[in-house]
Amino acid sequence: MTSKRIYAACFGVHFFLLTAVCFAGIFSLIAEGATMLPSALDRCARKGELVAASVLGKEAAASNPARRGIATYLHAAGIQAGYTFFAPNIPSYHKLILELHYSDGRVEYDSPHVSGKAAALRLDSLLDRLSNPIYEPLREVVLKMLAFSVWREHPDVEKIRAIFGSVNPPDISDFDQGKREFFQPMFSFDFSLRKEENKSAPQ
Amino acid sequence: MIRLRSASGGWKGLIEFLFPPETDRWLSVLRIGLGLQVVVYTLFLRSDWHYLFAGTGKGLVSRELGEAITSFDSPLIPKLGWLVALGGQAGISEETVLTVAWACLLCAGCFLLLGLFCRPTAIIAWFVHLCAAESGGLLAYGADNFMTTGLFYLMLSPLPDRYALDHRLVKIKPKDPQLLGFWRRVLQVHLCFVYFVGGLAKCLGNGWWNGSNLWRSLIRPPFNLISPDILVRFEYALPVLGISICLLEVGYVFFIWMKKTRFVWLVCILAMHIAIGLTMGMYLFALVMIVLNLAAFGVGSKVPFLRHYQRETTDYTDGTDKEMIHGS
Repeated sequence: MTSKRIYAACFGVHFFLLTAVCFAGIFSLIAEGATMLPSALDRCARKGELVAASVLGKEAAASNPARRGIATYLHAAGIQAGYTFFAPNIPSYHKLILELHYSDGRVEYDSPHVSGKAAALRLDSLLDRLSNPIYEPLREVVLKMLAFSVWREHPDVEKIRAIFGSVNPPDISDFDQGKREFFQPMFSFDFSLRKEENKSAPQ
Repeated sequence: MIRLRSASGGWKGLIEFLFPPETDRWLSVLRIGLGLQVVVYTLFLRSDWHYLFAGTGKGLVSRELGEAITSFDSPLIPKLGWLVALGGQAGISEETVLTVAWACLLCAGCFLLLGLFCRPTAIIAWFVHLCAAESGGLLAYGADNFMTTGLFYLMLSPLPDRYALDHRLVKIKPKDPQLLGFWRRVLQVHLCFVYFVGGLAKCLGNGWWNGSNLWRSLIRPPFNLISPDILVRFEYALPVLGISICLLEVGYVFFIWMKKTRFVWLVCILAMHIAIGLTMGMYLFALVMIVLNLAAFGVGSKVPFLRHYQRETTDYTDGTDKEMIHGS
C-alpha cells in the first residue's frame, strides 16, 4: 500500500506540473491576443500565465535549485512545452534569402539547406522561431551562422546579405482568382566575410 | 463520519483507477513502436546528423548555441556537449563522438525492437535522444517532445514484456499486473492532456472553424505535398475537416474512456495522424502519435459490432487478461 501511495503521489506531482505547463501555454496565447476571445480577457490571461510560470519556478532566480530541478524534470520527461501545435491559427511561414556578393560584382541568391527532408523540417522550425520576438537577441548570431554555413560552399564570396522575411500565402478564394504568396522582408543583416566587420540593418 | 467515509471511498476509487490490473501487451506495443520510431529517427537524420549537431563553424547552427539556451533553463539537462567533453578527455574527436552517439541510438532502437536488454536499452535510447533533442533545441519540433515522453515512460515501465527476447532468454519473474496498469494509466492520462489542450487551443482560433487553417497548413512548405489546385477542389470540405479535428481532439478526453465510443474515437484519431503523415510529410510525428495511442488505448480495445463474438473473452483495457494473472 505504501508503494501505491508513493506512485500516486508521483502521478499527482507529474500531472500537476503538466497542467501548469499546458495552462501557461493556453494563457500565453490568450494574453497575446492570438485567439478569438474578447480582448478584455487578455489581462486576466497574463495574470494566469504568471501564476502558471511561478508554479513552474520560472519567476525565481536562474540559479534557484527548485527552478533548475523543475526545469530538468520537465525536459527529461519531454513536457517542457504545451501542446498548442498549429493553434490557435496557422501563421505565415518564414524564409531566409542569402544574397551572395562576389568581388567581381556578381550577385547570386541561395538559402541554407540540408540533405534530408526530416532535417529540412527542423530548419523551417528554426526560421519560424526566429520570427518570434523572444528570439530577437539571437537573430543576428543565428543568421550569421546560417550565412556562414552557405559561405563554406562559396568561399570566394565577399559579402552576404541575409534577408529574413515572412511569406504570406493567399486565402483559398484569392488563390482561386490567381493570387499567389508574397514575400515580406522583416529584417536584414550584412555579413562581411573577408574582413571581420559585420554591419546589421534591421528594417 | 460521513466525510471520512466519503474521503476514504474517494481514495479507494483513485487507487482503483490508478492501479487497474493489466497485461503487458500494451507495453510490447510501446516498446516495439518506440524502437521502430528511434530507428526511423536515426535513419532519417543519418545524412544531416553531423551537420545539425556539429560545433561552431562546422555545422548549420552551432550546437553550443542550442546548448547554451538549454543551460539557461538548467545546466543539469543532458546534452551532446557532455558526451563530446567526455570524449575529448579520452582524446576522441567531436566527429567520432557524434558518430558513436548516432550508432548508439540506432542500436538502441534495434534492441528495443527485439526486446534485448530492455531496461538499459530504454535508458540509453531516452538519454541519447534527449541529448540530441536538447542540443538541437533550436531545431526541435513536437515529435521530439513526444519521443522523449514515450521513452521516459518506457524506461520507467516494468520491462521486459512477454514478447521481448529478454523474456525468452532469461527466466524473469512475472511483473505486477497493477504496476503495469499504473504505467498504462499514466500514458492514457497524458494523451488526454495532449489532445484536450491541443483541441482547446485550436477551438480558440477562428481559422479552424472556417477551414482556412487547414488550407494554410497544407500549402506552406515543407508540408505542401498536395498541390493547392487539388485542395481548391475540396474547398467545401475544409471547414468540416477543421471542425472535426477540433471536436475529435477536445472530445478525446471524454469519448476514449467510454467503452461504446472508444474504438470509433481511436480509429478517427489514428486516421487523423495517418493523414497528417501522408499529406504533410510529418512521418516521425505521425508514427510516434500512432504508437502512443495504440499502446494507451489500442491494445484490448473492442470493435463495437463484434462484441457478441468476444463475450467469452476478457476485457484487457479495463479488466485484465485473466489467463496472464492466474498464470502469474
